[in-house]
Amino acid sequence: MKHRVHHSYMWLGSIRVGLSILFAYAIALISVFVQFFAKGGTRGAYTESLDFVISAACLVGTFVLVVGTMVVYQVISYKYLYFTLSDTEFSLYKGVISKKRVHVPYYRVQSVDQRASLLQRIFGVCTVMIDTAGGSSNKAVTVPYLTRQQAEWLRSELFSRKRGVQQGQRANAAASGSAAMRAPIGQAPEGSGNVLDFGSQAWEEYGGLFGGEEVETGRVSFEYGLSNKELLLTGISNNTSFLLVLFAILGAIGQIAQVLFGVFPKQGGDIAHDMVVHATGSAAIGFFALVAGCVFVAMLVVWIISALTACIGYGGFRARRRDSRIETERGLLQHTFQGVDVDRVQAVVVKQGFIRRLLGYCELSLAKIDAASANDDSTKSNQQAQQGMVIHPFVKLSRVPEILQGLLPEYQDAPEGLTPLPAVSLRRGLIRRCILHGSGFWLAVCVTAALAAINVLCGVQGFASGFEVSSEYAAMILKVVNYCCVALYIFAIVAAVLEAIGCVLWFRESGFAYNERFMRLVNSGFSKTEYCIPRQKIQYFKLRTNPFQRRSKVATLMVRTAAGVGGTTVRLLDVAQSDGSAWLAWGEPKPHAKRPTKA
Amino acid sequence: MREMPKTQLDPKIKKVWRISDAIWITLIFLACFVPFLIVACVAPSQTWAVIVMAAVFGAYALAMIVFMAVLPPIRYARWRFDLTEDYLEIAKGIIWRNRYLIPFIRVQNTDTRQGPILRAFGLSSVTVSTAAGEHVIPGLGSDQADILRDRAAELARIAREDV
Repeated sequence: MKHRVHHSYMWLGSIRVGLSILFAYAIALISVFVQFFAKGGTRGAYTESLDFVISAACLVGTFVLVVGTMVVYQVISYKYLYFTLSDTEFSLYKGVISKKRVHVPYYRVQSVDQRASLLQRIFGVCTVMIDTAGGSSNKAVTVPYLTRQQAEWLRSELFSRKRGVQQGQRANAAASGSAAMRAPIGQAPEGSGNVLDFGSQAWEEYGGLFGGEEVETGRVSFEYGLSNKELLLTGISNNTSFLLVLFAILGAIGQIAQVLFGVFPKQGGDIAHDMVVHATGSAAIGFFALVAGCVFVAMLVVWIISALTACIGYGGFRARRRDSRIETERGLLQHTFQGVDVDRVQAVVVKQGFIRRLLGYCELSLAKIDAASANDDSTKSNQQAQQGMVIHPFVKLSRVPEILQGLLPEYQDAPEGLTPLPAVSLRRGLIRRCILHGSGFWLAVCVTAALAAINVLCGVQGFASGFEVSSEYAAMILKVVNYCCVALYIFAIVAAVLEAIGCVLWFRESGFAYNERFMRLVNSGFSKTEYCIPRQKIQYFKLRTNPFQRRSKVATLMVRTAAGVGGTTVRLLDVAQSDGSAWLAWGEPKPHAKRPTKA
Repeated sequence: MREMPKTQLDPKIKKVWRISDAIWITLIFLACFVPFLIVACVAPSQTWAVIVMAAVFGAYALAMIVFMAVLPPIRYARWRFDLTEDYLEIAKGIIWRNRYLIPFIRVQNTDTRQGPILRAFGLSSVTVSTAAGEHVIPGLGSDQADILRDRAAELARIAREDV
């Protein structure tokens, strides 16, 4: 049976195309206007206005023509856009002139995501993306403009048929119900509501103009949202907002520097005296304060806006367990929905950046196989590919077990305790982090070299003759340079100390552990990342040694999973070689695992 | 430390490495050498071109010695693999030594490939692909390659879940 997408594909798609063409025309029109006004007075008013009318008519005419063509194309392509669900595969047919068919066997479906822009959301339609595991060049299959009802139906159908194919029979409601029964039923933790939930609830009730009735897609056994505090912290600690603040600060410094240099006299003279004269001038002070104040306010506003944007982006965040699937949705304006089967989860990642670590919070995400971005918003997809599927952006560390138990009961028997790193790793780590990769050390080396070059090779005389300045002036500048270098040395020492602390933290808290089904790997430092990888999902095991590591009897341990786009390697440096080989032996398929019963 | 895998590659692989490396090095050498040769022919007064040519030739000779005489036996000795019922284990690398363990149930497909040099020696290289990356065993006798391919295919069929 052919399933068609919603008819808003024709007109909403046309509106989108029309708007982008309009934008292009607006840019073109600007030049026309500029020309028109620039030419004013050179010719008679009559010919001038005639010119204008003609060109405007041409523009409007071509615009109508182009948009008309697009609309016709959209309408025709709508006729040829449909999908079918057969016993074994999902097929998408599209294309007017060059026909395209995509077939996805159900057992290849990795995750089903849906996304809706604000406009789409108002009309209750969304774009569904089906990720497949097709190697490194895989692309998501995109089905545009489905109603919410259709999308939910398609998602549940894809997942249940996938189950059915795997079990050799169509899964029925009873089976999936019993599967849900086995999962412990958890309640949403207390205080898990936030101010923006109200908005998302309103959206939920509204559902969009053509959203249709809600479809029963399975039993929810665990669900939670973000509390006010968590939402706020997510917004504030959002990386992009930090970057923006950084840019704003840099901009402010630039402004201040500009003001200062404006104050500096152009000609060589008594700088200090001139500065005092200028600085005491109230106008200069006022101007300086005004600029600084403006920059500060602008910075604050930008920061608040970006934090708010992040908050709204995470507004209405819900993560839930429905039958065997894990679903997350978020976004107050632009709605993003991700759904992945538990079987497809490659790893559970607990990530603590520096700030989250200070506060005792972490980001909880699931690594899954991501498709390379097939559509235009590549940056967004790439970002998501890096993150995996975030199931909680900012959660207290103590709540993690509770959430994992509710969301992923399968990951319950993850190994406890860690095999620590051998003592020699600390020495190696210090050498590596503080000297070989040590920014502080190399900064000190560079500063020393520069100092030696300036003071010994050039000296006061060389400097004075080289830049044609008086020798007293040269001596003063050299002195300033030397003081700057002292500051740089202090900076280098601070950096080296920080690196050493990071290294000690890494040594103390990193390690790995494994039991029958799972492997846990912790990489610590100022930020800490913990991976929990099922043995089944490890594509291959790797140990790597270089000559120095061999002398210290340590090795680098590398785990390769298929997560992300084209696979991910998780590594831990300087594991004892004996532990490493025991781990490699663990990687050999066990007798009970190697011959699974043919279900 | 876990003991090294036992199986070694076919000894003929050393010749294959020598030939293919010789071709590559010679190509790179020509690409670097010829421009200066032209300069030297066009403007014989330019002595620097001759010096550069001598240096390039020296580097070429050194590379040839290293890649023809020194490296192949060491590489051959270090390249080992084990093909058991359930997994493929590879140990390779001279300075950075790598050990791989690839369970066959994770293998998605195996290819055998034969370039002209390999074919001349009656060898084939087997590529074992998992969902995240592939591994190449460069020189296997054709019969061994077939065994490996068939085993991987059989175990991949038994595997419960693809990824």
